[in-house]
Amino acid sequence: MPPHSPVPPHNEDLLTVRGLTVSYGESRVLFDIDLSISPRQIVACVGRNGAGKTTLLKTIAGFLKPLSGSVTCDHASLVGRMSYDIARMGIKYVPQDKKVFSDLTVRENLELGSYATKDYNWDRVTDYFPKLKQLMDRKAGYLSGGERQMLMIGRALLGSPKLLLIDEPTEGLAPSIVTHLKTVFGDLRKNTALVIVEQNLPLVCAISSKVYALKEGRVVAALADRESISVDACERYL
Amino acid sequence: MGEAMVKAFRWWWGILLAFLLVALSRFVLPLAFINEVIIFSIYTIGCSFLLGRVGFISFGQPAYLAVGAYGTAFYLSYFGTNPYVGLLLGVLSGLAVSGLVGPLFVRLRSDYFALVNLALAVIIYYLMQKVLADITRGDNGLWFLTNIVATPVLDISSPNQFFIFALLVAMAVWAFYKYLDDSIFGACCLATKVNEDKLMFLGYSNYSVRLTAFIIANTTTALAGAMYAVYLGFVSPEITSPARAADPVVVTILGGTGTLYGPLVGAIAYTGMKDVISKLIGNWELFIGFLLVFIMLAGERGIWGTLQPRLQALFSRNSAPAAMDDRATKRP
Repeated sequence: MPPHSPVPPHNEDLLTVRGLTVSYGESRVLFDIDLSISPRQIVACVGRNGAGKTTLLKTIAGFLKPLSGSVTCDHASLVGRMSYDIARMGIKYVPQDKKVFSDLTVRENLELGSYATKDYNWDRVTDYFPKLKQLMDRKAGYLSGGERQMLMIGRALLGSPKLLLIDEPTEGLAPSIVTHLKTVFGDLRKNTALVIVEQNLPLVCAISSKVYALKEGRVVAALADRESISVDACERYL
Repeated sequence: MGEAMVKAFRWWWGILLAFLLVALSRFVLPLAFINEVIIFSIYTIGCSFLLGRVGFISFGQPAYLAVGAYGTAFYLSYFGTNPYVGLLLGVLSGLAVSGLVGPLFVRLRSDYFALVNLALAVIIYYLMQKVLADITRGDNGLWFLTNIVATPVLDISSPNQFFIFALLVAMAVWAFYKYLDDSIFGACCLATKVNEDKLMFLGYSNYSVRLTAFIIANTTTALAGAMYAVYLGFVSPEITSPARAADPVVVTILGGTGTLYGPLVGAIAYTGMKDVISKLIGNWELFIGFLLVFIMLAGERGIWGTLQPRLQALFSRNSAPAAMDDRATKRP
């Protein structure tokens, strides 16, 4: 359990991580991580560079195998599953690097998402990101950083995932796009739980209902109610 | 109805034009040369798909060519006389072998993939030359030209009619690869080449995508092998000689890697140079080597990769449909 504000186990938790320890070769990067996410909840992970936030998301998404611990979603263990299996279970990872398939058009990028999920209804995607409608025939390699982020989140929304793992979504984006993403994330919560790794603390505090602070691979605080979530409180643990 | 026909024509016109030019060249070039070009281009298109789309370089394509050729040759030498049945068996042999080795090979990284395929070519070469010499007649090869019977409608035992058959098969192969290029599967192949992790984020198994691409490409190569066998009426272990292992890769690069028409253009250029230059100088491979170095230094786009954007610009200026669309040459 986190040392400061422990979150009790929740019967209705969508995702539960218990005692997760992860290493890159000999070097351990996550130590005994516990966290839980309820359906339709936005959970943020904050921490300095190297705190282990991305490693945590990659482990949940199946790209890294933990040394020990459990990750369960809807009572099904995710440990040992291939990452594409986890994606098919409705847990989508949106990585930090904003690298789309640059040789493919926006339409083809979305078609890839549709074919995998058999969800060909793009209305939800274009409702959230109307700009994508105008960019359908453009090669994704020619999109701006903000447009790429829209495409990546939009593509991940196909198939109505139950959990989105989003890594540093606002990094390097213009303030207007950050404001737009903030609205989108707030709205997505109606159907989807989100785990967001983010350094933009005002954004985190505005949208999250739970915040985990990570430091040197450990959860040092879990702020589990709206009243305790503030920029000052988050900064205290960084 | 009219709109559907226009749409179909726009889709087909590049293929029709390309093979119309090949067909017309029959009047000025020797039949043997054209037949060789057509078969060689089918041989190369699988390699081009693997390299340009999936990012796998294979120095073992002669192995699958030989499997197709020997599949046909065994049937026509020992069991039957119908060349169409022989072709079918050759293709099925290629499908079986690539289905057998594919699950092992596609797990490897691209560099190891290249070498393990080369190793397979060497194994098949020695199997055909020595181990199975009682059946394959070793270096003497299998001769079955006189066993092939005339077939109704299109008699492919005649070189002239074989030319028409090869042209139709090549058009079907090109249409199939164009369809693949346009399909979600084609996008998956490109995506697995560019970033395999990101393809998995979307719920795709890279392994399945690569295996399917591998089987498709090598079955096409086996088809070329089967066509060689029927056309020549002879197959020897030389078809899978490790010395010729780089040929399809060279033709792929020469034509333009990952482009739809690159294998055809590359096959014309390579076979043409081989025929013309080998008459002038003994070591014609030396010339090909220098040419490849030049192509690499000039930007790795190959002949068709360089010509295609210029032709596209020319056609778009004249408001013609820009359907000769090669995704790989339009990359940012």
